Amino acid sequence: MLKTRIIPCLQLINESLVKTIKFDKYGYIGDYINTVRIFNELEVDELCFLDIRATKENRKPNIKILHEIADECFMPLSYGGGINNFDIAKQILSIGFEKVVINTAAAKNPELITEISTHFGAQAVVASIDVKKNVWGKYHVYINDGSEKFNMDVTEWAKRLEQLGAGEILLTSMDREGTWLGFDVEITKKVAAAVGIPVIANGGAGNIEHIADVVKNGMASAVGLGSMLVYQKKGMGVLVNFPDKDEIEKQLL
Amino acid sequence: MITIINYGMGNLGSVQNMFKRIGVPTEITNDINEIKKAQKLLLPGVGAFGAAMQKIEESGLREILDQKVLEEKIPVLGICLGMQLLSQSSEEGISPGLGWISARTLKFNFTNSALKIPHMGWNTVHPVKESRLIENFDNETRFYFVHSYYVKADNAEDVLTTTHYGLDFDSIIQHENIYGAQFHPEKSHKFGMRLLENFARI
Amino acid sequence: MNTPVEIIKDKTANHFYTAEKICTRCIYDERTPSILFDENGVCNYCHMVDALIDEYQTGKPEGEKKILEIVERIKKDGRGKKYDCVVGVSGGTDSSYMVYWAIKNNLRPLAVHYDNTWNTAIATENIRKVLTHLKVDLYTHVVNNKEMDDIYRSFFLAGVPEIDSPTDIALAEIMYRAADKYGIKYVLEGHSFIAEGITPLGKNYFDGKYIASIHKKFGKIRMKTYPNMPFWTFVKWIALKRIKKIRPYWYMQYSKENAKAFLAKEFGWQYYKGHHLENRMTAFNHSYYFPAKFHIDYRNNTLSAAVRAGEISREKALDEYYNNHPYLEPELLEYFKKRLEFTEEEFKKIMNQPPKYWTDYPTYKKTFEILQPFFYILMKSSLVPKSFYMKYCFPVK
Repeated sequence: MLKTRIIPCLQLINESLVKTIKFDKYGYIGDYINTVRIFNELEVDELCFLDIRATKENRKPNIKILHEIADECFMPLSYGGGINNFDIAKQILSIGFEKVVINTAAAKNPELITEISTHFGAQAVVASIDVKKNVWGKYHVYINDGSEKFNMDVTEWAKRLEQLGAGEILLTSMDREGTWLGFDVEITKKVAAAVGIPVIANGGAGNIEHIADVVKNGMASAVGLGSMLVYQKKGMGVLVNFPDKDEIEKQLL
Repeated sequence: MITIINYGMGNLGSVQNMFKRIGVPTEITNDINEIKKAQKLLLPGVGAFGAAMQKIEESGLREILDQKVLEEKIPVLGICLGMQLLSQSSEEGISPGLGWISARTLKFNFTNSALKIPHMGWNTVHPVKESRLIENFDNETRFYFVHSYYVKADNAEDVLTTTHYGLDFDSIIQHENIYGAQFHPEKSHKFGMRLLENFARI
Repeated sequence: MNTPVEIIKDKTANHFYTAEKICTRCIYDERTPSILFDENGVCNYCHMVDALIDEYQTGKPEGEKKILEIVERIKKDGRGKKYDCVVGVSGGTDSSYMVYWAIKNNLRPLAVHYDNTWNTAIATENIRKVLTHLKVDLYTHVVNNKEMDDIYRSFFLAGVPEIDSPTDIALAEIMYRAADKYGIKYVLEGHSFIAEGITPLGKNYFDGKYIASIHKKFGKIRMKTYPNMPFWTFVKWIALKRIKKIRPYWYMQYSKENAKAFLAKEFGWQYYKGHHLENRMTAFNHSYYFPAKFHIDYRNNTLSAAVRAGEISREKALDEYYNNHPYLEPELLEYFKKRLEFTEEEFKKIMNQPPKYWTDYPTYKKTFEILQPFFYILMKSSLVPKSFYMKYCFPVK
């Protein structure tokens, strides 16, 4: 049976590993290479790295550290942050990353998704959508690390990204990110129902029940975890960890 | 020494890294003279079937590969697309495959099902036949898969393991010295290491 | 190319070494610094352990009674506060068991971890498992990895053995900071002279100035997040804030083997393949750097301690020490070189340079010696451990 993928989503700001709360202030987590080693030893399903400020700070992906990461890992890898042209995507895919994650560039230049997808296959392209709910409960798409509103309906945008050739959607709730309050099940379900490609629910996981909730009720194919893998508990110290796998399997049944 | 064929498709670094971790020497090459000396071949691959076959033909390696595999009968392992290339044909395009194993590559087709394509993620394999390639596999053994097409061997005795995704498909196959694995061992932690170690010992 | 194990075999005198004289009780031999043997061939370190057992009544009713009195005092002083003591955790046996011991005695510990960014998964998983089961909060200080690596690089370039000392000092400082933040007056240390033995005096030494001076000479990045402990900070913690350090294992019955078995059974805690190897830098030191560069194999401390405690036979310890080399994780050397950006040639060159020692660099040692009467008073009020007083406040012979 295909297992639900549980993906540590690690945030980078250039060479530092960090963790944000609601896309805003962040704490320092540690060394990316050692953290990767720990997740490698823990045999996690997959790892996703996002340089959350690369686009905003107009930086190119840091190929040197991506190389180091790929050399350490015996699991599928994805990277996002600052990928705005085909050649950079190609370079990242050639050093041992399976997937590139595209967010702002998809909004500015949708053909990029198609170009990468045609060349490397849809499985190599993860389209990332950051969503935020306004006071009236309506969801909006944001780009550029959540700083710029993108005028497009969330499900319409997801469908469009699928048509363009994306193989997966990484759906992040900006309101829940870093809060430990649980995923936004509502929007995950809407998007998952609208597209035929897998949706990775991201933002807000605080415990194993949250994972089960978004998989069972939100139709998520996979989940991204952040805070709960890098802190002991909410408000407490940094501790790179992974919940008991048996416990997860039990909850997901 | 395992010779990894570089015909311009796929991520060879990861495969080589894993062999390095388990202490097996490898070389990545597209040089005919190097391949002539090879004792064991690994055929990687990511991407489209037709494009891959075209690259193999263009590279001028076809003849030497046929000779090593079919005449000298040295062990060869095709992984992911590399396994599909071992078959005679694919529903992905019109080019014939290498045809080293009597098999066809078919497309997943799930009508009336919520199953997503590609089949992507960690899945288990169920041994149906003994082989040195799958020694020491246990119930925990799982691999990382990413594929929209799967191989269907014509002869049941060529199937080593099957995997369930909508249907039971052939996830590891073997015909004499020719082996194929549909998943990515190089991205499958210790399980992938075990498979590559087994292959290195054959 | 030699495998790491072969390199160790080449370099460790141990493997080919025939000791002239080995203590008849433990396994220390004449290479141990400042060692003396009595008429029965028993070494001075065994006598020191005996003297400590006598003084602390370790594992005897009086010792157990004393530590319970201390526990009561900790509870009393911690009334109304969220936590009443700090326990430093690394994921290893002693510190993990210390957390359990504190909970068992109805203390309310705050676990403190100094993340030097070289942890293994076993270390972090052990911390998670123990703290989750016991519902203990964790305070972590994560140093900037570039900065920490620069400090490690400096120590390696300096050619001295104390590569782990920046972590030891930082943990000590962080425990004080956490204690201060929450108004906690007690720090519990998981040190056991029974289980760990007594580190031979003389060759090893460190303090805040040692770290600062080595880093100043060889480092490139300014220290910003590394929590060093300069002299006056140290004095602030002990004399002004009066945060006391307690070592419960000095009083009570403690067996490392039993602790390991207990932790594994109760919490699914995992034992690592060697002493202190749950951190990659410590593993590098113990498995490679000490034996290969300084001909020191610290397994003799633990093995000697285990022999004294009757946990293993002397024969078995001798066999282990002389016929086996320390466990070296594959690729650890590669990791070290890659992370600290040493080429193979540079690494080899530094390894082959003659060893340097703490006496080659500035330290606070003289200051501590001059202030010996002051530290005597602090030692008497448990504000500094006796081992500190003994080791730091007297000139090394």
